[in-house]
Amino acid sequence: MSMTLLLAALGVFCAGALAALLLGRSDAAAKTASCLIGAAGSAIALAAGVSAVLGDVSRLNAAVLFPFASCELLLDRLSGLFVALIAALALVGFIYGLAYFDEYEGKTARAGFFMNGFVASMLLVIVADNVFWFLVAFELMSLTSYFLVIIEENESSIRGGWLYFVIAHVGFALIMASFLFMSNLSGGSFSFSDFRAQDFGPVWSSACFLLAFFGFGAKAGIIPLHSWLPKAHPEAPSNVSALMSGGMIKIGVFGILKVGLDLLQGSGTQMWWGIPALVIGAVSAVLGVAYALGEHDVKRLLAYHSVENIGIILLGVGATLLAAGLGNQDVATLALMAALFHSLNHAMFKGELFLGAGAVLFATGTRDMRRLGGLIRRLPRTGVCFLVGALAISAIPPLNGFASEWYIYQALFNAATLGDRVVMALAALAACALAITGALAVACFVKAYGMTFLSKERTAATAGAREVPAPMVLAQGLLALACVALGLGAPLVAPVLTEVAASVLEPAAPVVTAAGAALVNEATGAVMSTPVIALVLVIVAGIVLAFRRSRSLGAIRRTEPWACGYAPDADMPVVPRSFAADVAFFVGPLYTLRDRCTDLCWSVAGVFSRLTAVAAAVEPVPDRVLVDAPHAGVTWLAALSSKLEGGDYGRYIVYIVCALAVFLALAVTLV
Amino acid sequence: MNILVAILQGALVCAVAPLFTGLSRVIRAKMHNRRGPSILQDYRDIAKLLARPETVAEGSSFALRLMPAIFFAVTFMLAMGLPIFSQESPLPVFGDAITIMYALALARFFFALTGIDSSNAFAGIGSIRELLMSVLIEPSMLLALFATALICGSTDIASMGRHIAAGDVTAPVAAVLAAIAFAVACYMELGKLPYDQAEAEQELQEGPLAELSGPSLAIAKLAMGMKQVVVVSWFCTIFVPWGEPATLGAAAVLGAAVFLVKCLIDFAICGLIENSVSRSRFKVLGNQTWAVVGIAVLALVFVVVGV
Repeated sequence: MSMTLLLAALGVFCAGALAALLLGRSDAAAKTASCLIGAAGSAIALAAGVSAVLGDVSRLNAAVLFPFASCELLLDRLSGLFVALIAALALVGFIYGLAYFDEYEGKTARAGFFMNGFVASMLLVIVADNVFWFLVAFELMSLTSYFLVIIEENESSIRGGWLYFVIAHVGFALIMASFLFMSNLSGGSFSFSDFRAQDFGPVWSSACFLLAFFGFGAKAGIIPLHSWLPKAHPEAPSNVSALMSGGMIKIGVFGILKVGLDLLQGSGTQMWWGIPALVIGAVSAVLGVAYALGEHDVKRLLAYHSVENIGIILLGVGATLLAAGLGNQDVATLALMAALFHSLNHAMFKGELFLGAGAVLFATGTRDMRRLGGLIRRLPRTGVCFLVGALAISAIPPLNGFASEWYIYQALFNAATLGDRVVMALAALAACALAITGALAVACFVKAYGMTFLSKERTAATAGAREVPAPMVLAQGLLALACVALGLGAPLVAPVLTEVAASVLEPAAPVVTAAGAALVNEATGAVMSTPVIALVLVIVAGIVLAFRRSRSLGAIRRTEPWACGYAPDADMPVVPRSFAADVAFFVGPLYTLRDRCTDLCWSVAGVFSRLTAVAAAVEPVPDRVLVDAPHAGVTWLAALSSKLEGGDYGRYIVYIVCALAVFLALAVTLV
Repeated sequence: MNILVAILQGALVCAVAPLFTGLSRVIRAKMHNRRGPSILQDYRDIAKLLARPETVAEGSSFALRLMPAIFFAVTFMLAMGLPIFSQESPLPVFGDAITIMYALALARFFFALTGIDSSNAFAGIGSIRELLMSVLIEPSMLLALFATALICGSTDIASMGRHIAAGDVTAPVAAVLAAIAFAVACYMELGKLPYDQAEAEQELQEGPLAELSGPSLAIAKLAMGMKQVVVVSWFCTIFVPWGEPATLGAAAVLGAAVFLVKCLIDFAICGLIENSVSRSRFKVLGNQTWAVVGIAVLALVFVVVGV
């Protein structure tokens, strides 16, 4: 059932892409058709994903002409979760696009075409169970998103797009190498099911894992392969940024999990695989958020936060690998659940925040925080939704970001108590990194929210801003609601995700992660309850507000802010740079590191540029031999033949008479 | 039953918070050779503010209006999860170390947002410093807590306290080091000298309060006092867990008395330290927090080694 739905969804996306092309003459028609059809496809895919998560596992094996490309698709619980996550983001992205694509005059058809293709290819990557289809879909995903990144065709988007293109293909090459090694070791089969059955031995399995880890890591944006994220994501249309940051980079996480826990299951998980995951996760988390604090461009700030959140997810993945390597499937299941939960949550709040940034861009024409301010009065609905997203990404209880980070802490704690001293030290330092990340994230989003939506209006950019159209508000509202629902509903969501994790790791007894309204860590007896926290906070805050109202002595007077007796003016309040300056004072060296990493990525891109230059120089050589010579011959023949047909019809009559004579002579000799 | 006890705890912390902040002021005055205010002065201040009309800054929004209520609600909730009357937390869902750290982040988020919302330059700078302080303090606090949790086998603060009280710890030296690191981190979190100038000027930690007035300011001040009591009690709960009865019962009254005495002693010690040091520049803070992180890491090393 779920597979049928998924195939139907893929078909619908193809129809949406075609519709965008066919209606390309009219922007409005192309936009409406591609977004509505895309939304329908996403809804169907969402249903497919949810039903797979709930246990409707199905696979499809269809032989095609070539055995290596036999169509094998697998929709199990794990891939179902990622399908649902991307489909949900795509659904709101398409709804948002109904109004937002008006910004892209003359390019709407292109946006609609590539966005449908992008979503379809992401879904195909997740369900592909065969090397050939996986790689084809992965490449399609990179290409379609590349064209979405460069849609504005200005200098910064083309530069960002190029960096993305290069890093995506470096990652692709590593993944391909990993798969080809596995394929070679399992007798040349391209089918994932053959990899699962095979024991590659510790050396080869580790090599395959590391290649895949860095290959998928490039897609996920781990440090040091992150530089493309803040360059490329902000350039795409905001709903595509949401899909890329919330959805596409999760395919990197999915790939790491799929290779480490699923494809290499026959070889067994090595404990030490968790160490690079944990260390790179911790580094990515701290540096990602530290760099975000220095940004004044809302969308770039959010892109850096994706690096941070991928780091946090990798902490969960690392704990999973460590625990699985030590043979404790219970702890591994808890850790994997935490990583999956945070992936899901990150998709929701990061999607919301990108849509909010897009709404700000739509309304004011800028995403530079230095020119924004006071937007809550002009875009009240966007402001409220953005606040929910900002609280969620800062892991503030009782929202969803906190629920999953709590599990990640618990997983790290449980991993630390497994008895391995190295793991204990690593897990404790990872927890410390997570604490720094949390504190920096709060600072970063106080800045992002305060500078964009609160305080006074700083420049004329915000003067004419009005609340964005209904579809955009609806899309943001849906995601904000999802953040609240996943937070308060964590006791209901966690057991489902635990089953997903258990389906991969197969612990002996079911792992309990929630009891009643509380989230629990069975091993230590720790409890936490988002609904209870929300209830108490709302009741107490409500009582306090009612009490203050009862003390109120009439209307509240509004005065200018106090400035030590000076007349306050617009230049007095803090600006985004005030944050950056203080942060740079404390964590300055980290920024140097970033510049190094960025230089590294550009030098990789430079190698590609040089490669293309060399290719351009080498390319004509075989041409000269293989193409130019026949070409010259053909031209010579043509010149000869052109003498035969000079255009003089007397000569044609002579030809016809000759031909007649020849045929007559033939007829005579044959008879 | 437990819920009633929890609410009672919240009310108790709310009731005694101005007493402890008043005590700090009395100690300061005595050490300055001043007569100073009465120990009840903070109650009077709050009562006075509650009777005043309010003004808010031009151009401010919901954040400024909501902050006192949210700050109060968070501290009240944290007080509900403390093991005050006995060694058991009446509501363990609020007593998990991770939950505590992140609930404080909720209060801080709105506290700092207020500073920006008010468009007041001092308040804004105060917000930024408040946020950066937490960036420097939180890692050492969490690392100390994590080390202690590993020693005791649980992230629940009441359970950590019970393990330490019973001497049931895997690494006693590590526990002592963790206690030191946590104590210093808590002291920084209290926002006392040398890390802040609480009363004289408003630029620094209490900066975001600059644009609050009347009942809003009263509630915010009360909540900040409650936060100090809560932070001090975490230290007492985890590292000085002796004196309270094991479970709730008739002895609970005794438990409350022990709790108050412990807080009193802690506040007195804090007051002594606060008034015997000079104010340090904000930018020096980074060097000192590294030392705390160092102690916490050392504690962790001892946990790993097992001594």
